[in-house]
Amino acid sequence: MALDRLFNVARKEFSDHITSRRFVIILGLFLVISAIGMHSGIETYNTMLESYNLQLQHMQDLEGPYAGWMPEKPSIMLVFSSMMSYMTMLGGILAIAIGFDLVSKEKETRSLKSLLSHPVYRDEIINGKALGGVGALGFAMALALAIALAMLLLFSVVPTLEEFAAILVFGAVSLGFLLAYFAIALMMSTVAKESGNALIYTLVIFFTVSSLLPMFGMMAANAFAGDPPEPPQMPRMPQEVVRTSSSGGYFTTSVSQSVVHGGTEDPEWREYEEEMKTYIEKRKLINDISNLLSPQSNYQTIAIAVTQPQIFSMMQSPYDTTPEETTGLAGALGKVWMNIAALIVFPSAFFAAAYVKFMRMDIR
Amino acid sequence: MIRTENLTKVYNGKPAVDGLDLEVGEGEIFGFLGPNGAGKSTTILMLTGMIEPTGGRCFVDGIEVANDPLNVKKTIGYLPEDVGFYGNMTGEQNLDYFARFYGMDAKARKERIAELLELVHLDGVTQKAGEYSRGMKQRLGLAQALINDPKVLFLDEPTANLDPEGVREYRELVEHLAGEGKTIFVSSHILSEVRVVCRTVGLLSKGKLAAQGTLEEVARALAPSDGDAVRIVVETREHLPAIDDPAVIDIERNGNRAVVRAKADIRDRLSASLFEQGLHVREMRLEEPEIEDVFMAAYRR
Repeated sequence: MALDRLFNVARKEFSDHITSRRFVIILGLFLVISAIGMHSGIETYNTMLESYNLQLQHMQDLEGPYAGWMPEKPSIMLVFSSMMSYMTMLGGILAIAIGFDLVSKEKETRSLKSLLSHPVYRDEIINGKALGGVGALGFAMALALAIALAMLLLFSVVPTLEEFAAILVFGAVSLGFLLAYFAIALMMSTVAKESGNALIYTLVIFFTVSSLLPMFGMMAANAFAGDPPEPPQMPRMPQEVVRTSSSGGYFTTSVSQSVVHGGTEDPEWREYEEEMKTYIEKRKLINDISNLLSPQSNYQTIAIAVTQPQIFSMMQSPYDTTPEETTGLAGALGKVWMNIAALIVFPSAFFAAAYVKFMRMDIR
Repeated sequence: MIRTENLTKVYNGKPAVDGLDLEVGEGEIFGFLGPNGAGKSTTILMLTGMIEPTGGRCFVDGIEVANDPLNVKKTIGYLPEDVGFYGNMTGEQNLDYFARFYGMDAKARKERIAELLELVHLDGVTQKAGEYSRGMKQRLGLAQALINDPKVLFLDEPTANLDPEGVREYRELVEHLAGEGKTIFVSSHILSEVRVVCRTVGLLSKGKLAAQGTLEEVARALAPSDGDAVRIVVETREHLPAIDDPAVIDIERNGNRAVVRAKADIRDRLSASLFEQGLHVREMRLEEPEIEDVFMAAYRR
């Protein structure tokens, strides 16, 4: 494989994408909606920042069980949460839009035969097409992040170095998510003889992995985990432990979650709690395994870990009431390594399938 | 310049090309004839390195195609049947994209493209290729096949989409290219077209080479065998009398006209006999089957 030929194909494909009406319209829509979402996110951030400053001022006045309460400074990464929801829908559509006819259109217009009659290997063509598509999606993502950063600066919100790194990671993860659907579309474009069929097949997979798969995951979890354990016949309920991050803070006081009955721990309740914990963990494991096949679920999990680590911690261990240590960006990513791996494996598998199919394609 | 050895391509267990042995010399304009589905396009795809043969070998300019398809593609130009282009790009942009694969620098590309667009009468056309008529696409197809100034040119059904004026221009272009010493391999099912431009032909039937040579040689080889008998057409001004010659096998009479089937060419004896009888001979010739009929019969076999 020669790089000059690969880049010739990639350059043409990239140019085709960014000048195509389809790409420009969807990207424009995505950017406008993202900007509106960002704007409202920035307003929320500013409100939370004011609240944080007020809480700081009143900290000294706190007494009793709330004496150790520490407000948490809001992160500007909250602003990017809104972008995540648009990314899963419009971003996915953008990725599909640029990939679904990459090969099928060449078959339909017979330009593939003309192209293959010149000195270029098939792998250079398919890799060049993939590279051009990745470049176009990278361009779209860079544009979205640049607009987001510009808006932050416009509202006098300057990210810290760690926040800036988190923004870049968020961008990279979002690009990974877009590549997942681009890879499906490219594969279907290679398999289908007509672009219309390629689009339909891609949409079927899109809705299967984004909607059906999580539903099946829940159903499987219900089926395999069985019924939840019954609580013991006792009137007292375990003391509810409240952790919150929506207010931007958390309690540093240690609150026991064990049930105290008559001054001693009740072994029946303790057993029930253990059973319940096991039951929930089992359900979660089945659900998580199923969700690993869904780019949407993986993307959301990683994006939440990056943008809202507190919410992510609550989601990961709802029964764990010990105060969460701040682990930083690397720590957050470490917790979602399986989702990151799945988000890499998913498009790679479809790219590989597209590659093999294209190499063996009958060009009569 | 082009050679195949037992070249075979099998699709789904059926041979599309079956043990083809072909040889085309340098500078020849070779017509590759055969009905639709005979395996012409499959042969060309193997010769141009676009598909791999199931068996056998093929060579272009001494290079075995399956071993080094990229070098072969640098040597050849190929106009596919029903050629296609990128509809969102102009003819010039399409040619520029293809030219980049040959490592030509910007100046060389610009000059070559301008020269070719003028050659195929598409200079000054600013439309996108998607808006081209079929004839214009065919002409642009010729230009893209010539982008690397190839030694060997493969043309698959080159006149299929051309109007009469386009066909005339195409013929002139082929003559011009042949004059430059290029080897031209024209695949077609239209005998009249091949007859005008090609010096040698090969007839492919059901994936096998039925005959190869000049048109006359191929026609003779394909003509239905009548043993050593010849057919002599005779027409006189007066009523044709009985012909008494030991070599005559039978006679089909029609007034002053007759077709004499004889064991040998007896025209000299026959004309002398008729002259002695005071008859005026209007026509006397050996009847040979029409080339079109011979090819049509071969197509049907």
